[in-house]
Amino acid sequence: MDAQEGLDLTPVWLSLELAGVTVALLVVLCIPLARWLARTRSPFKIPVEAVTALPLVLPPTVLGFYLLIFLGASGSAGELWTRIAGHPLAFRFPGLVIASCIYSLPFVVQPLQAAFEGLDRRAVEASFTLGASRTRTFLRVVLPGIRRGLITAVVLGFAHTLGEFGVVLMVGGNIPGETQVVATAIYEYVYILDYDSAGVLSAGLLAFSFLVLVLVYGANRRWHAELRL
Amino acid sequence: MNGIRIDLDFRRSDFHLVVDLTLPSDGVTAILGPSGSGKSTLLRLVAGLERPERGLIQVGEQPWHDSARGLWVPPQKRGQGMVFQDYALFANMTVAANIGYGLPWRGRKRIVFEWIERMDLNGLETRFPHQLSGGQRQRVALARALAREPKLLLLDEPLSAVDTDLRQRLRDRLLAIVATLEHPVIMVTHDLVETRQLADRIGVIVGGRMHRFGTTPEVFDDPGDLQSARILGWRNLLAVRWMQTGAVGGDWGRLALEGDPSPEIAWLGVRPEHLRIADGGVQGLDARAVRVRELGAIRELQCRLIDGTPLYVHRPWNEPVPAPGERFRLCFPVQHLRPLIEGADRTRIAGHRPAARQQEVERFGSGPPASRRQLGDRQAKSA
Repeated sequence: MDAQEGLDLTPVWLSLELAGVTVALLVVLCIPLARWLARTRSPFKIPVEAVTALPLVLPPTVLGFYLLIFLGASGSAGELWTRIAGHPLAFRFPGLVIASCIYSLPFVVQPLQAAFEGLDRRAVEASFTLGASRTRTFLRVVLPGIRRGLITAVVLGFAHTLGEFGVVLMVGGNIPGETQVVATAIYEYVYILDYDSAGVLSAGLLAFSFLVLVLVYGANRRWHAELRL
Repeated sequence: MNGIRIDLDFRRSDFHLVVDLTLPSDGVTAILGPSGSGKSTLLRLVAGLERPERGLIQVGEQPWHDSARGLWVPPQKRGQGMVFQDYALFANMTVAANIGYGLPWRGRKRIVFEWIERMDLNGLETRFPHQLSGGQRQRVALARALAREPKLLLLDEPLSAVDTDLRQRLRDRLLAIVATLEHPVIMVTHDLVETRQLADRIGVIVGGRMHRFGTTPEVFDDPGDLQSARILGWRNLLAVRWMQTGAVGGDWGRLALEGDPSPEIAWLGVRPEHLRIADGGVQGLDARAVRVRELGAIRELQCRLIDGTPLYVHRPWNEPVPAPGERFRLCFPVQHLRPLIEGADRTRIAGHRPAARQQEVERFGSGPPASRRQLGDRQAKSA
């Protein structure tokens, strides 16, 4: 119990912050990408799909290694960032966000792509023939039409970022207060044989993930748009 | 200009649609055609949901598209109403929200409830589309399109999504609504009953080309070519193998026409209700009865001519018809015989008549029947 009293919750907040920022960025980036993938007949579709799905099959350490090279002080992105911010991307929170975005990309893109493929095109066209602008059509017809896919994307993206370990360890370096998230903190507690702290964090992560899934799926089932007149 | 001018040239991979139409500023125009003929594409082009390579669409004084001047009005700004084939209602919105979707904020509630009243949707305002029957969905889709008082109403197979029982009732309701509209309606369909009951004018479109355009009685009475005739439900079609002054013929025999036949005639059509069982005094052909079907108020006699050509005869239920197997004389009143051309693009045929075809015509003109080879060619063409 002593361990619990002195438990540092910084990794928890950092994990939540990382997952939140990552998912927010991914949703904004992936909506146009998924829409393009769902509708295009371009020959580039297959290579782009393959690239977005790579994180699914690559070992996290491989992905983490390349990202470390790319984001490190001598990497192209890292060098540029160092010039702007005065420090490299690797071993910092922004670097962690970039790595998480790439690692969780397929978990957000794929449900969104499926949602766009299943979107009723005629409803979108009907909205146009009724004089609605593209923005209004997106907000009133497209977003509600893809909401299940969007919720799945957010849940999977959030949960996956929350639980990632390999990439975070490679790119972030497990620096307490800076890049140490729950998953790497658990690893460290186990390493130093502090099983109580590791147990509390693990149970917390398990309960949180379960709760989020139950809430989101439950809400998704009952969600109906309100009459807006 | 008061009417609607549609002049389009649209290509997508191997499909090519060319249409040049001028419609009056009121009434219902039905576009009939088989699947893949381009009729729905035509509607989408008019709605602005597809953009043609070359096009001119003008509704009244307003140009919607003029490729020559680089003018393109997006669908949002065309002020049209469109009812989609499966209605395309917004699944996440209630009936009232669907109807009010295209309306300005001011006065929205009032207009929505007017249309709810008018379309007999009282009590369904807060329902979602999945909680409605087929007929109710159709009314919501119509109300949604009409509430904006569109300059042009576009209907894409408005009754195809409902089953047969409901069709007649919905057709009647649609007829009643359309009759009250001041604006023109373009309706795409392949339903002949729907067309006959709703349309003032018909355009028959086949393979991306408008084959026939005219008033409903005109087009139904004289389809002009073989493909249009088939689309318009003509089943009695006789292949013409030769022609001479005032008459045409084939393996089935010879029939006189009103006036001299045009050299383009390839087929002869006659509607089943115009055929008579011989009572003397009218020209006729030998036939053999195959089957008799009772169709309520009429009887359908299926028979074959001597060369095997199948024909259908419709007679009142109380008129005696030959029994199956019986031979009889079938009469073809000359005023009801309709010469039909082969069915290619009419403008192309009129402009550039193929030389081989011309020779054939010259031979026909001299009277004797065409050679077996020519007959074979024509049969192959018609197939």
